[in-house]
Amino acid sequence: MTRLNVNQVLGLVLATFAVLYLVLAFQIPQFALPRPIDSDHFPKVLGTSLLVLSLMLFLEKPQARDIPDPVQSREEAALPAWQRPWARVIITFLAIAAYAALLVPLGFVLASMLLAVGLTVYYGYRRHGITLIATLGVVLGLYLIMTRVMDVYLPTGLLPL
Amino acid sequence: MESLNNLIYGFGIALSPMNILYVFTGVFAGTIIGMLPGLGPISALALMIPITFAMDPSSGLILMAGVYYGAIFGGSTSSILLNAPGVAGTVATSFDGYPMAKKGQAGKALAIAAYSSFVGGTLSVVGLMLVAPLLSKVAVSFGPAEYFSLMVLGLTAVVSLSDKSLIKGLIAAVVGIMVSIIGIDRQTGTERFTFGSAHLLDGVDFLVMALGIFALAEVFYMLLRGGGGKEQPRNAIGSLKLTRGEVKEIAGPMTRGSILGFFTGVLPGAGATIGSFLGYSMEKRLAKDGDTFGQGNIKGVAAPESANNAACTGSFVPLLTLGVPGSGTTAVLLGALLVMGVTPGPAMLQDRPDVFWGVIASMYIGNIFLLVLNLPLIPLIAKILDMPRALLLSMILIFCMIGVYGLNFSVIDLYLLLAFGLLGLAMRLFGFPAAPMILGMILGGVMEESMRRALQIAGGDWSVFVDKPISLWLLVIAALSVFLPLIKKAIKGLRLRHA
Amino acid sequence: MSTKTPLKLIAVAAVTLSAGSAMAFEPSKSVEFIAPANPGGGWDTLVRTVSRVLQEEELAEQNFAPINTPGGGGAVAWAEVAKDEGNDHMLFATSPPIILVPLTGSSRYDHSDFTPVARLSTDYITLLVDADSDYEDIDDLMEAIRENPGLSIGGGSAPGSMDHIAVAGLAGEAGIEPGSINYVAFSGGGEAMTNLMGGHIEAVVSGASEAVGLIQEEEGELRALGVSSTERLGGELANVPTFEEQGLDYTFDIWRGVMGPPGMSDEAVAYYESLFEEMLETDGWADARDRLGWIDAYQGSEEFGEFLDAQADEFSDILRELGMVE
Repeated sequence: MTRLNVNQVLGLVLATFAVLYLVLAFQIPQFALPRPIDSDHFPKVLGTSLLVLSLMLFLEKPQARDIPDPVQSREEAALPAWQRPWARVIITFLAIAAYAALLVPLGFVLASMLLAVGLTVYYGYRRHGITLIATLGVVLGLYLIMTRVMDVYLPTGLLPL
Repeated sequence: MESLNNLIYGFGIALSPMNILYVFTGVFAGTIIGMLPGLGPISALALMIPITFAMDPSSGLILMAGVYYGAIFGGSTSSILLNAPGVAGTVATSFDGYPMAKKGQAGKALAIAAYSSFVGGTLSVVGLMLVAPLLSKVAVSFGPAEYFSLMVLGLTAVVSLSDKSLIKGLIAAVVGIMVSIIGIDRQTGTERFTFGSAHLLDGVDFLVMALGIFALAEVFYMLLRGGGGKEQPRNAIGSLKLTRGEVKEIAGPMTRGSILGFFTGVLPGAGATIGSFLGYSMEKRLAKDGDTFGQGNIKGVAAPESANNAACTGSFVPLLTLGVPGSGTTAVLLGALLVMGVTPGPAMLQDRPDVFWGVIASMYIGNIFLLVLNLPLIPLIAKILDMPRALLLSMILIFCMIGVYGLNFSVIDLYLLLAFGLLGLAMRLFGFPAAPMILGMILGGVMEESMRRALQIAGGDWSVFVDKPISLWLLVIAALSVFLPLIKKAIKGLRLRHA
Repeated sequence: MSTKTPLKLIAVAAVTLSAGSAMAFEPSKSVEFIAPANPGGGWDTLVRTVSRVLQEEELAEQNFAPINTPGGGGAVAWAEVAKDEGNDHMLFATSPPIILVPLTGSSRYDHSDFTPVARLSTDYITLLVDADSDYEDIDDLMEAIRENPGLSIGGGSAPGSMDHIAVAGLAGEAGIEPGSINYVAFSGGGEAMTNLMGGHIEAVVSGASEAVGLIQEEEGELRALGVSSTERLGGELANVPTFEEQGLDYTFDIWRGVMGPPGMSDEAVAYYESLFEEMLETDGWADARDRLGWIDAYQGSEEFGEFLDAQADEFSDILRELGMVE
């Protein structure tokens, strides 16, 4: 068996998604009053289109630029594990998820400061004084404009702001 | 001649010291609010309502109109600098504006946006002045069938937006449409793809997806490919100055963008967005260097920016001449006018000419203010890019968070943002264009709704889409815009093979 | 102006004295006043108008802070308020959707989950056709529907919600099967009216105050075939006959009121009740009310509660006839 190329893998993933989507689309209930086009028609058309398109993608020859190059540069390999490119993406992802979870209990100002300062330091900027002043300025500035001027409510959390 | 007299009368009102102050305050506040994350013209106007309560109606509308087009003006800034479009009308601006900023031409991109906005704003006020009463007929001539066909035409822009692979572009567009129909179906009240979450009843907000697949995905991509930790050579802001050649180059796109934007803006609904997308894809096809669109072509900034500002002015046509709001933003304006005791509509030109002509005159002044105010600010604003990269990335993240959270004050939106960020990253890595997805997301819902409405009215008879002349023409243009480039390509291919 | 402050002080003192007991309620912090929708709509206008009038007329010691909680046609805000049991510093604007949305299954909470505070005002339904149309009165239109059930009637909300219910009820009164009405849902009253002017649909059902600007005598683009009130309305609408005048025994109220979270204390309810009653007497309110085309229709907490129950029965009957609830 030959190895699948990248478009074939993508095609299969998308086709699976399309099938799942269609299963859900077929469960959309009918409306009590007869409609020429009910709620379920459009999703069914979309699901089918995606299925057909993913099969077409399966057959399309991948172009060189579509294949993400997995080769790590030597420079990157020399970095500690937690500083490698993918690690940076994953840690940023987790940091944002943590931010979302802590936003309400900690409050906007505190959570945002933690996220901004933490990530800036992690990304390798070493002038902590500047980081602290800049993030405090931006976060507090935005917070005050939003809450005091624009009447947009942001969670206050632990700080009495 | 009559309009000239009217205009002079209007300037008499708009040039009173108080009203000049209101125009100035309006456009200034609008620009600032437009630049803030997640705050668009609607929030800017909502803020003004209590202030205008006790004002004279013409002053009140002058102030609020200033805030409205000021916010549209300011909205392009985050699209260009951070790849973070705050409102749907500025998405197309980011396609070439952001690449320009990355190439060290942030100053020029912002300057072009400012000039184009000025041209779009001013040309469309001329339009508003001369043909507003006539155009009110155009605005009502668009029923559900015509809207459906217009949305189809808008979606054909996908073909031009996806030069990587047409199939991948179409897949992205279909997924975008799938996202757009999440929530309560307005035609039946049925829930679709909400998975029982009350939060999804109103669907996924545009901003969550736009900031996710553009701004957040860009941050992820930079972390992955840009060697995030190392200090990169800083982005230069570049000169603001345009060469004579460049001015010549963007003159056409600005003029065409303004006209197109104005007419689509007149149509109630997705005017500014459709206008800017159509303007962009039209210029891409007209330009000799169409291949370089998406890589920082100045025409790709000029066209959508002039279109979205012109559309903003255009949206005043149905509001002032018919008294019906074409968008959420003009609905807020209408509400404010009613509270001030003015009923916009056919009778307004007779009853309250001061409001009508005063506002029109004030728009000329406001657009000049915007240009004068913004050009000197550009180097300052563009300094954002001068920040150390590590700091800039964190700031973009905060910007996205506050914009998205401020929408519904819901943490669920933040998780959705994160999911779209990952999706956007995957799309970039595997060569899927993001633009068709956002286009599908913006137009898909309206397209389905208008189609079903049209069929509901026609009792299920599909011929309604070709029986109506406007609808038929839109569909013909849509078909031509898809097939002509393909036929051209095929002919070219044949020739090459024979040569 | 200078005499106002002492007078007010006396008034406050009198109220405090007459209330007598230490149980009397006064808000101790600003009151969250929720509009379960985005800025610009009916609920938002009510919330902002009320809090402005209260402030300008200096009726309340504490600020009433307008808050917009959009989503699910109100369901998101209701779910939030329902969780805040016993909170005496929270109110929200309400109107018929609080009954209709739960009936069609889109909200877990219905009016009985909240504390009715007061009904403030009302508006009525009107049926509009193009000014050039052949339909001169409601009979013409109903006759046309009888002959051609496909005749399209637009409205600004989903099937099964207020506009649809109103026109279905009217048709039922005229002897037409309510379910046969070809109701077309638009995303707002404005959009429906634009479509009517463009000739894309035959008629539109809308709130009377929303349509005032378009049905003026001379310049009007649209014609109103009737209003759902018991007596004729004033102003621009004075020439529009009621449905009852035209032989259809049908009324429909778009009432607007204020409710609080479940389990609001009796003292707090009493305080807000009398606050709103007092507010309706002020010039500031009269001014705003007339501009917006609303009509005062005050009911206190208990009366409002009974009214809501009666409305719920009426609406579920119509929805049953439409086949939208079992």
